[in-house]
Amino acid sequence: MKKSFYLFNPGRLSRKDNTLKFVPVDENVNEGQARYLPIEQVANLYVFGSLDANSALYNFLGKNGIGVHFFDYYEHYTGSFYPKEYLQAGQLHVQQSLHYSDPMKRITLAQEFINVGAFNMLKNLKYYQNRNKNTAEEILIIEELIKQINHTTKVDELMGIEGNIRQVYYSAFNKIIPTFPFNGRERQPPTDPINALISFCNMICYTACLDMLYHTQLDPTISFLHEPGVRRYSLALDVAEIFKPILVDRLIFSLVNKKHIQVKHFRNEVNACLLKESGRKIVMKAWDDKLTDTIKHRKLGRHVSYKHLIKLECYKLSKHLMSIEQYQGFKTWW
Amino acid sequence: MYIILVYDINTKRGGKMLKLCRKYLNWIQNSVFEGELTNIQLENLKADANEIMQEGDSLIIFNNKSKKWLNKEIIGQEKSSINNFL
Repeated sequence: MKKSFYLFNPGRLSRKDNTLKFVPVDENVNEGQARYLPIEQVANLYVFGSLDANSALYNFLGKNGIGVHFFDYYEHYTGSFYPKEYLQAGQLHVQQSLHYSDPMKRITLAQEFINVGAFNMLKNLKYYQNRNKNTAEEILIIEELIKQINHTTKVDELMGIEGNIRQVYYSAFNKIIPTFPFNGRERQPPTDPINALISFCNMICYTACLDMLYHTQLDPTISFLHEPGVRRYSLALDVAEIFKPILVDRLIFSLVNKKHIQVKHFRNEVNACLLKESGRKIVMKAWDDKLTDTIKHRKLGRHVSYKHLIKLECYKLSKHLMSIEQYQGFKTWW
Repeated sequence: MYIILVYDINTKRGGKMLKLCRKYLNWIQNSVFEGELTNIQLENLKADANEIMQEGDSLIIFNNKSKKWLNKEIIGQEKSSINNFL
């Protein structure tokens, strides 16, 4: 199975003998030992350090369908190198646009995303309820809010409910991970460790969804729940809605509760709290393990990785758009 | 499938083989590679290797269902890590 490669060290990545060569560089511009990355095993690249590369490399990566995701010094997601679409399908494209422009069709899909997302959040809370974390109150409120989802007629309205659900959900975080105090979600920039962790993980989840979308016929720019904007792949945000509770939140809970991530892994800057490089590495390692981790799929009856699960979700979405099968989001059962 | 590949090849063709193997697998030691491949990738690798090899050359591929059945112990210096965190 192809793997993601994470580049933390600054260095130079180049095309060499039809494969990739990475030469790390230290502060004094001394070159380290070159590492050859087997092109056949690379699924995508995550660039956290500063990377030297030329267009020959990008041509080569593009030909091999390898996406590159960039993150800046403040660990914000800055963008992706998205190779030319290789799986175009006109019919699906037309259907996707039609589903977007028809308010009825759009809202059904949007509702499903929220419904499933909320369901998976509830599952998380119930899991911790069974572990004496007393999240009963939040569970009740969210269950009430979920009932409203199917009565919505506009996407804005739906987003409002989603916001309320998230707020209640996040308020339960203090009970689940008491080591880090959490006073509500803050973005741009996050000011406390837990917000920094959530921001960082959500971003990676988004890139993972984008990666999987690339390998399907779907157009990542036409979305249903989020408003399709310019210069962004908003369908990845829609799909991420389902997987954030399953992948991101669970990862955060286990990292914090097992004390893999501690206060020392964060650095405080003016008005912002960010993960240090050591922390970032721990999170990325755990994330990578999580994505390659497998579960036995109930419908398929075989083991699939979480990464593949995201792709299956995209397939289901395409089936819905082509009116083959009604879309039903992935609900966790454990 | 998890692969360990070793070759013993005439130095004239050694460079070619090295470049080919680097495309598919992680280099760990002189003329030793390891990594995860699909069946098709392995067939491609074998076909390409066949093109390069001539009389007296040898290529051995050990394969394993999964990495978890493989114990790897490094004594002395690790020539190259195969970690995907660089």
